[in-house]
Amino acid sequence: MSGLTPESLAIGLDDLPSLPAVVMELLGSIDQEDVDVSVLARKISYDQALTAKTLRLANSSMYSLQVKVTTIQQAMTFLGFQTTRNLITAVAVTGCFPSGLCPGFDDKAFWRHSIATAACARVLARRVRLNPDYAFTAGLLHDIGRLVLVSKQPQRYQQVIERRAQQDCDLLDAERALLGVDHVIAGVALAQHWNFSDTMRQAIAHHHDPETHGAGFLATIVHVANAIVHALDLAREKEELVPAVSSVAWTALGLNEEAYLHVFHETDMQFEEMSTILMA
Amino acid sequence: MSAAYKLTELAAARPGMALSEDLLDRQGQVLLPKGAVLTAAMLASLGRHDVEMLPLVTGGETEDADPGAIQARLDHLFRRNERDNDDDWATGILRRYVEDYRLAREVAP
Repeated sequence: MSGLTPESLAIGLDDLPSLPAVVMELLGSIDQEDVDVSVLARKISYDQALTAKTLRLANSSMYSLQVKVTTIQQAMTFLGFQTTRNLITAVAVTGCFPSGLCPGFDDKAFWRHSIATAACARVLARRVRLNPDYAFTAGLLHDIGRLVLVSKQPQRYQQVIERRAQQDCDLLDAERALLGVDHVIAGVALAQHWNFSDTMRQAIAHHHDPETHGAGFLATIVHVANAIVHALDLAREKEELVPAVSSVAWTALGLNEEAYLHVFHETDMQFEEMSTILMA
Repeated sequence: MSAAYKLTELAAARPGMALSEDLLDRQGQVLLPKGAVLTAAMLASLGRHDVEMLPLVTGGETEDADPGAIQARLDHLFRRNERDNDDDWATGILRRYVEDYRLAREVAP
């Protein structure tokens, strides 16, 4: 992985927030063969806020469990380690950044959009038989670079927002012009700091341009999910805009109208539930 | 803050109405959370979930129920999509599908 550019260092991308230690340990366990699940479950349980929200997600209609789970250990038993880890990560990520730093930046709309994209990416992934948990995380993180930039440079990001509104230009262009970096670079830096895989980093890096060689199919899923979420108006932002959809990505998914109508409906339903839990 | 609510038959519910409580299925799982705004598609799905009664917030249906308002909003969302631009055809298809979805139009099989 290349080192940070001078602009990135100037912004402070070498000094990024950390997830709670136990979550970092959980993420680090991806590559380990003999993970002691019960020890991890117990450590997670010490964080009551993290546990409570994770269990609410586990018991939501996303998973249709016959039995209500009341401990992290139970969630891991019935949903599996991967899925539970994913839920824990989602809860931890949404709690990681302070809000209200930048007056023009609507934190709630940001999270509504990210959670909706996560929900939609998960629904799409199941349709094309890709790991839905992975897609969920990628969807949740795809724009996380914006939060990094807002928290590092709240006043300058205010100017970015104003410039974009005045000139009706692309957000990436406004960010680059005023900050020297954009939210894709910041997002990739954060994903690396949190030890996410190459696939995840690529998905974040190329969700605007999924046709890029080597971007990977996850980037395609997040790209289309992002467009769908804008079109379904789920973030409830006044100045909402649907970005151009890559025809290569659209063709790659290979879904017909009936499938998309189901995707819209499932996304609608799951988003309402998830945002209620995650944004409480 | 609790709003006034009325237990309403599914058949009498309309898009734009909002739930005043979590809607649970027979196992006690949350189907839709409190505050969810109902769409035509959700109502159709609830019928398949054996739901008969809905706790709905009374008074003040949102303007989302009006097809003209829905179309206007969709046109605003897709304002960068030029309908006759061949390169942007995927965006055009998404636009058509979302219009069908939001306006609850019949979809040809």
